[in-house]
Amino acid sequence: MGLWEAFLNWLRSLFFKQEMELSLIGLQNAGKTSLVNVVATGGYSEDMIPTVGFNMRKVTKGNVTIKLWDLGGQPRFRSMWERYCRAVSAIVYVVDAADPDNLSISRSELHDLLSKPSLSGIPLLVLGNKIDKAGALSKQALTDQMDLKSITDREVCCFMISCKNSTNIDSVIDWLVKHSKSKS
Amino acid sequence: MAQPLIKKDDDRDDEDNYSPFLGIEKGAVLQEARVFNDPQLDARRCSQVITKLLYLLNQGETFTKVEATEVFFSVTKLFQSRDLGLRRMVYLIIKELSPSADEVIIVTSSLMKDMNSKTDMYRANAIRVLCRITDGTLLTQIERYLKQAIVDKNPVVASAALVSGIHLLQTNPEIVKRWSNEVQEAVQSRAALVQFHALALLHQIRQNDRLAVSKLVTSLTRGSVRSPLAQCLLIRYTSQVIRESGNITQSGERPFYDFLESCLRHKSEMVIFEAAKAITDLNGVTSRELTPAITVLQLFLSSSKPVLRFAAVRTLNKVAMTHPMAVTNCNIDMESLISDQNRSIATLAITTLLKTGNESSVDRLMKQITNFMSDIADEFKIVVVEAIRSLCLKFPLKYRSLMNFLSNILREEGGFDYKKAIVDSIVILIRDIPDAKESGLLHLCEFIEDCEFTYLSTQILHFLGIEGPKTLDPSKYIRYIYNRVHLENATVRASAVSTLAKFGASVDGLKPRIFVLLRRCLFDSDDEVRDRATLYLNTLGGDTEIDNDAKDFLFGSLDIPLVNLETSLKKYEPSEEAFDINLVPKEVKSQPLAEKKAPGKKPTGGLGAPPSGPPSTVDSYEKQLLSIPEFANFGKPFKSSAPVELTEAETEYAVNVVKHIFDTHVVFQYNCTNTIPEQLLEDVIVVVDASEAEEFSQVISKPLRSLPYDSPGQIFVAFEKPEGLPTSGKFSNILRFIVKEVDPTSGEAEDDGVEDEYQLEDLEVVAADYILKVGVSNFRNAWESMDPDSERVDEYGLGPREGLSEAVNTVITLLGMQPCEGTEVVPPNSRSHTCLLSGVFIGGVKVLVRLSFGLDGAKDVAMKLAVRSDDVTVSDAIHEIVASG
Repeated sequence: MGLWEAFLNWLRSLFFKQEMELSLIGLQNAGKTSLVNVVATGGYSEDMIPTVGFNMRKVTKGNVTIKLWDLGGQPRFRSMWERYCRAVSAIVYVVDAADPDNLSISRSELHDLLSKPSLSGIPLLVLGNKIDKAGALSKQALTDQMDLKSITDREVCCFMISCKNSTNIDSVIDWLVKHSKSKS
Repeated sequence: MAQPLIKKDDDRDDEDNYSPFLGIEKGAVLQEARVFNDPQLDARRCSQVITKLLYLLNQGETFTKVEATEVFFSVTKLFQSRDLGLRRMVYLIIKELSPSADEVIIVTSSLMKDMNSKTDMYRANAIRVLCRITDGTLLTQIERYLKQAIVDKNPVVASAALVSGIHLLQTNPEIVKRWSNEVQEAVQSRAALVQFHALALLHQIRQNDRLAVSKLVTSLTRGSVRSPLAQCLLIRYTSQVIRESGNITQSGERPFYDFLESCLRHKSEMVIFEAAKAITDLNGVTSRELTPAITVLQLFLSSSKPVLRFAAVRTLNKVAMTHPMAVTNCNIDMESLISDQNRSIATLAITTLLKTGNESSVDRLMKQITNFMSDIADEFKIVVVEAIRSLCLKFPLKYRSLMNFLSNILREEGGFDYKKAIVDSIVILIRDIPDAKESGLLHLCEFIEDCEFTYLSTQILHFLGIEGPKTLDPSKYIRYIYNRVHLENATVRASAVSTLAKFGASVDGLKPRIFVLLRRCLFDSDDEVRDRATLYLNTLGGDTEIDNDAKDFLFGSLDIPLVNLETSLKKYEPSEEAFDINLVPKEVKSQPLAEKKAPGKKPTGGLGAPPSGPPSTVDSYEKQLLSIPEFANFGKPFKSSAPVELTEAETEYAVNVVKHIFDTHVVFQYNCTNTIPEQLLEDVIVVVDASEAEEFSQVISKPLRSLPYDSPGQIFVAFEKPEGLPTSGKFSNILRFIVKEVDPTSGEAEDDGVEDEYQLEDLEVVAADYILKVGVSNFRNAWESMDPDSERVDEYGLGPREGLSEAVNTVITLLGMQPCEGTEVVPPNSRSHTCLLSGVFIGGVKVLVRLSFGLDGAKDVAMKLAVRSDDVTVSDAIHEIVASG
């Protein structure tokens, strides 16, 4: 990126600056922290440690600053998800599409969370991660198994991605950026 | 121009004292805390709100769990801000909230990120907070970073990690102990702060290992410590090592004394003072060792800094108790401190002077004190009064001026504690200086004429009842006492009635007049007063001489601890059988030995209820023992000893033993605790070797079926012994058991076990185990009421001793009896001392002992032992104990 272009971006961000807040949840080892890294820096690492609590990251895409609350997925933290989902622009729910055993737990955690009155109407983005692995579900199968059709009180969208190969990450970012505009 | 300028300054002073947060309310601040959730954060505003929250917490305001948790979670949202100042406030508030809020663990990840950030401020603070919120399992994850931080080149980061280590050592000792190498490296750091904290942590890690502490001190005293604070710590550890190493070497040199002495020439005043204090605190310090320390303290006395003057005079004050001669050199400097602006310094100077002064200077000092008393606070006055009391005991000839002084200050305004100190002093002087009796009693009488404290009035009335009748002219006190019946509240009136009765019982000449007065009290408005008057009229009634019962009733003291009487009365249920006061236990309950476990031994995790420690009071022992059928025919236990530790602190198995003495048996109760989570012990027995205790023969051994981790169990071993005799003996013990490995996660034990043994320390049954500590409140009366024929007197040479008090304590522990009337305390520098002991010998025989100690020559102590008891053989037995001990 040339210096000039960077300057222009900066100038543009001054005038069209927009912010959005996202919370990133899902069961442990679904790839939430990896997704943050891919979105923020484009880097991917196989060797990750479980997130204890939460990580806060700010990412600037174009003229949108995204605040990302990346929450731990272990059972002890799930009760706290709701606190970090209140008043965000969108909830991003990451599912390990190559781990069918845990899908039912993932589904019930998601539906439990969405039933909280404080979160009504917040758009939901479900991401099926790890589609690079053999045996990963298709988008249709995931939609069915997660019972996404039953969610009617909000906008719901589903993408199949791979953080490892950066598949579909761009569409995710596009979706997010679009929602920041619609919100403000 | 000058005038308004000064005024301006005054104004500013006022502003300084006024806190901007004065009067803020919790509710309002909690409302304000909502700004933390704003999408656009105002860092300045948020910092301010956190400051307010911190202010509230520091003012003692408490947040409920819900409030704290709510605030905590909103605070976590502030991690998105990059404002340095705000982040710092976030760390602070999380640290403060962490004990009361739920789920603080949620910030772990964020803190770990900060801990590895490039900003040193982030790193240091994140470490401190992280260690506050973390638990054992997470600690292992971050241990690597902490180890690195300890040797970090930034001193703030290193010292944050070290301080966290000190905190974590309480909960996770085994992890922190692994950091020894890093900590040791940090001790060599150039940064003063790091060195200080590192030394403190290193010492804590090793505190239970005497040899390691000694090695640490030895290597560091060679001079690699630069930080004054660390040097102070080192001095403290050094004196600890000196204390524990005990005796002076043959050449008379004390180990490490040279080091302490060299610290007196250090350039930092703090170190100089610490060294001087350490020297003065040495056990049995000689005057040669003291001299250099006193010299530097004397220099401090004339320092311009108040804190140095205070420190010096306080230390000298302490030294004056043991070595008054060493301090006399400083007397001139201290006399100038009497007029010091700081009242604490002045008081200490005065009391020190009182201790070191000689007979000729007493009058001069008293004059100075009188001027000074009016402008100090009560607590200082009490110190002065106590000093004067001991001065008076030291120079009995000067009692007149000192007693005058006490009566003068008694008339002045003052609070309860102050008045009580004065009254106590006068009472002690009356008791110990016969010449002072008459004037002292009159001073007290005068005082109760205008005394606002019920407690003091009743105490004085009681005292008058005992001492008054023995004076030359008892009738002159009656007026003061009877005035109370007219003028005071019911409590005082009742005790005045008792006092009158005592005069009536003791002085025949006054009896008819006392009767008249008592009859008048029959019309009092208060029940208790009327009851007492009726009771005394009846007991003293009749013209014949008063029988001994009435006297006993009036003057005899209740030889039962009031607490025991109270519990017995509470337990008593109305029935045909009358309450029998003889059944009330007489044993003075010792405070349940506070389990002084090393901090590292605390149960980790803190899950669930604290482990139920072995019951420590006598009552519960008794119940426990009686519930075991094998011991049922032994009768009632005569005495249960305090627990004796048979293992060192921090060993695999903690065992202590309680000795229960019965008439013909002894039962050892071994309280065992298994401190290894990975082990289950089964079939635990104690193998007792009684080959050095010939008169004992083992009859019963009750093993413990299983001993799981951290739940104490008891093993009992019973011995038969000759009846009634204070048989002593030494027993060696081995713990034998089968060990089974336990899977710590599932808690399941393996099936196969291995037999193993564990050597315990030896246990002795000594004569003191056969004597109950039972106090008497008036030793003289008790002594005189005993048959003089039962008295056995003999003299003993105790050989060279450290001092009188050491000799007194040795004999008291040997006999295991209760010292009476505070006679176990030997006044400093006395050449002779009398100690009074009382107790009950096995078989329920009351024993009184009067010990007279004298210093003979340089260090030899001679002792005269007089025993009276209900049974002559017991008197002889006591002598035997002393002769063989």
